[in-house]
Amino acid sequence: MELELGLALPNNHLMKGLDLNDGSTTNSYRKRGFEEAFEEVIPKATLPLFVHKNGGDGDDENDSPQLKNSPELNSISGNRALVGWPPVKHPRRRSAGGGAEERWSEHCGSNSDDGGGGRRAKCVKVKMEGVAIGRKVDLSLHDSYEELFHTLNQMFPNMQHGFAHHPHHHRRRFMVTYEDGEGDWLLVGDMPWEDFIRSVKRLKILS
Amino acid sequence: MAIKKKKELDTEEKSPENRILSFPDEVLERVLIFVKCHKDRSAVSLVCRDWYNAERWSRTHVFIGNCYSVSPEMVARRFPNIRSVTLKGKPRFYDFNLVPPNWGADLHPWLVVFASAYPFLEEFRLKRMTVTDESLDFLARSFPEFKALSLVSCDGFSTDGLASIATYCRNLTELDIQESGIDDLGGSWLSCFPDSFTSLEALNFANLHSEVNFDALERLVARCKSLKVLKVNKHVTLEQIRRLLVRSPQLTELGTGSFSQDQKLRSDADLESAFSNCKNFNTLSGLWEVSSVYLPALYPVCANLTFLNLSYTALQSTELAKLLQNCPLLRRLWVLDTVEDKGLEAVASSCHLLEELRVFPADPFDQEVIMEGGGSGVTESGFVAVSEGCPNLHYVLYFCRQMTNAAVATVVRNCPNFTHFRLCIMNMCQPDYLTNEPMDEAFGSVVKTCSKLQRLAVSGLLTDRAFEYIGTYAKNLETLSVAFAGSSDRGMQCVLEGCPKLRKLEIRDCPFGNAALLSGLERYESMRSLWMSACNLTMNGCQLLARKMPRLNVEVIKEDESDDMHAEKVYVYRSVAGPRRDAPPFVLTL
Repeated sequence: MELELGLALPNNHLMKGLDLNDGSTTNSYRKRGFEEAFEEVIPKATLPLFVHKNGGDGDDENDSPQLKNSPELNSISGNRALVGWPPVKHPRRRSAGGGAEERWSEHCGSNSDDGGGGRRAKCVKVKMEGVAIGRKVDLSLHDSYEELFHTLNQMFPNMQHGFAHHPHHHRRRFMVTYEDGEGDWLLVGDMPWEDFIRSVKRLKILS
Repeated sequence: MAIKKKKELDTEEKSPENRILSFPDEVLERVLIFVKCHKDRSAVSLVCRDWYNAERWSRTHVFIGNCYSVSPEMVARRFPNIRSVTLKGKPRFYDFNLVPPNWGADLHPWLVVFASAYPFLEEFRLKRMTVTDESLDFLARSFPEFKALSLVSCDGFSTDGLASIATYCRNLTELDIQESGIDDLGGSWLSCFPDSFTSLEALNFANLHSEVNFDALERLVARCKSLKVLKVNKHVTLEQIRRLLVRSPQLTELGTGSFSQDQKLRSDADLESAFSNCKNFNTLSGLWEVSSVYLPALYPVCANLTFLNLSYTALQSTELAKLLQNCPLLRRLWVLDTVEDKGLEAVASSCHLLEELRVFPADPFDQEVIMEGGGSGVTESGFVAVSEGCPNLHYVLYFCRQMTNAAVATVVRNCPNFTHFRLCIMNMCQPDYLTNEPMDEAFGSVVKTCSKLQRLAVSGLLTDRAFEYIGTYAKNLETLSVAFAGSSDRGMQCVLEGCPKLRKLEIRDCPFGNAALLSGLERYESMRSLWMSACNLTMNGCQLLARKMPRLNVEVIKEDESDDMHAEKVYVYRSVAGPRRDAPPFVLTL
């Protein structure tokens, strides 16, 4: 199933000149509404409108599996990985016991040391070649490369990772690289996720 | 004792115009005592030299909105008789982790200067300052008359610091550490209040994580007969609250602990009677882990409630409805979005005097919100419902996941007196979900209709048009928060050119660049501060601003070594104290 998906940055306007499918950019603003993403309602079928420098093509269909309403994927969104958004100051979490609050305080990261152990936020900068604004991604909220690519896809809608459920078949128009602890730039995806998390310092998306 | 300045009365013959100026200073100072608001006092000080002097000698409370705008020495030089200091430090986006730790705003340099300049200082009200245990200890020992300490969103201290305050501040009336990030080393600080200590009037330790010694708390509450405000943390049980209420029926503000009980209470009737004995409640908060079977115990105190803070309580709509039926005088209500639109309809039907509503998200990060009712927070219809039932509404903070331009227009038509309008559509860049249009018209209707608007936070998909509206209509706007919005520099320019009263502008993730930044050259000196992060600013642009406006501090926060040209986080503020001398290495002052 294909979903209309667009988590466009406001500077998508600036990208207009690069889009070959100019008329369709208005639709790319439309992020999935909450109901669509998480209920079984099938949204109206439209082509995903990621546009990028190389022009849209039939790759779109093959990308659709990544947009399925898969619970594991949908539970991570670009929103959550963004630092400080939504702008909620303090965890007003429903107290479903300690777990919920700890998860929150992990996300809040450095400022309020709520004492709970567990993961700390690991925010790394992501820059895409040719895009002026860098973004930040909280890697601790992801458990796999799949989830990371999904988030990156949402952050940089002009890019197609060409990623699918089966990592061996991914086709990439853009390469996601990372800088490790020793200052070397490596291709993302070659080593086990846990090792990657430990050594990654920042990400760069190259064409 | 106030230090009086002697001045000879001017006995020369004065023309009628000058007669008014030869008022003896003492008289003027006596009159000025009644001028409390710091903005009025600023105005008074500008009239003429005599009034400037009279004002500075008679001022007892100083408000410093940005701790780096002035130095403690300058404050001490100008105002000799200060008893109370309000000090604010870090930029507000610090609350959302956009400001790195160890950024600054340390209280200590202020304490050192004030310990000698104001030995009789009584109050510190601090917001987003870094306060260490050493500082708290120094404070407690340096100011023998110290009365009130309020720490909002502060950090850097632990319960050890609180122990110093409890031990040495013999005249303490207020200790309020709400929402501060505390290192919790245990609860014995409360036991440090000596047995002879009875002056406490307000105690708020609601967000402390560790248990306090309940016996010490109970004895403290019992002997402090003037206690009016008590806000405990969630470790205090319902039965313990009952015991505290029995000791202090004179309370006006109560923050309960957890409102459920594993063991059976002595009896529900006892709980109800403990609450009924309290005739003076106007504020209720806390209520963690509410078990709805105990909610009716609150009904007796609801009759006079003006402020109900349920933002830690996951109430469902029916529970809220029943509770609110008992709260006809409510003016301020904070809730979680677990109450959903139905809950807000109950607000509209029960609370006609409501002036302020804040709806917080129970699960802001989870798109997959699993609610008992299968709902998804609040929507535009809850917002409209409240506006229909509560015509006095003037302050709203509303977190939601969908909104329409039409709904917002309806809301402000019903409630044209908004002074604070903060709408957060949590999905970034989301348009009107019915029409697919940007949300420009929504905020356009807000600024066109609400002429008294002072504070605005925008969200959703917004083009420059939204900012054109703001610049054209929001003539009383003082604070504007913008995220993921706008199409070009023009957006920010419209605001800077059009909003004469703008004081605080905070922007993140918007396509505003150097041209926008520099278009505000004339404005920044009349503003408290500007924050821009993840925008299109470069170091060159910031350096140009710094060069042209030497009385501004232009600071760039550089967190990583790469990308030298891009200015990731920029903080600009006016200052008479010059560049910071305590800036950490990642803060570059240009």
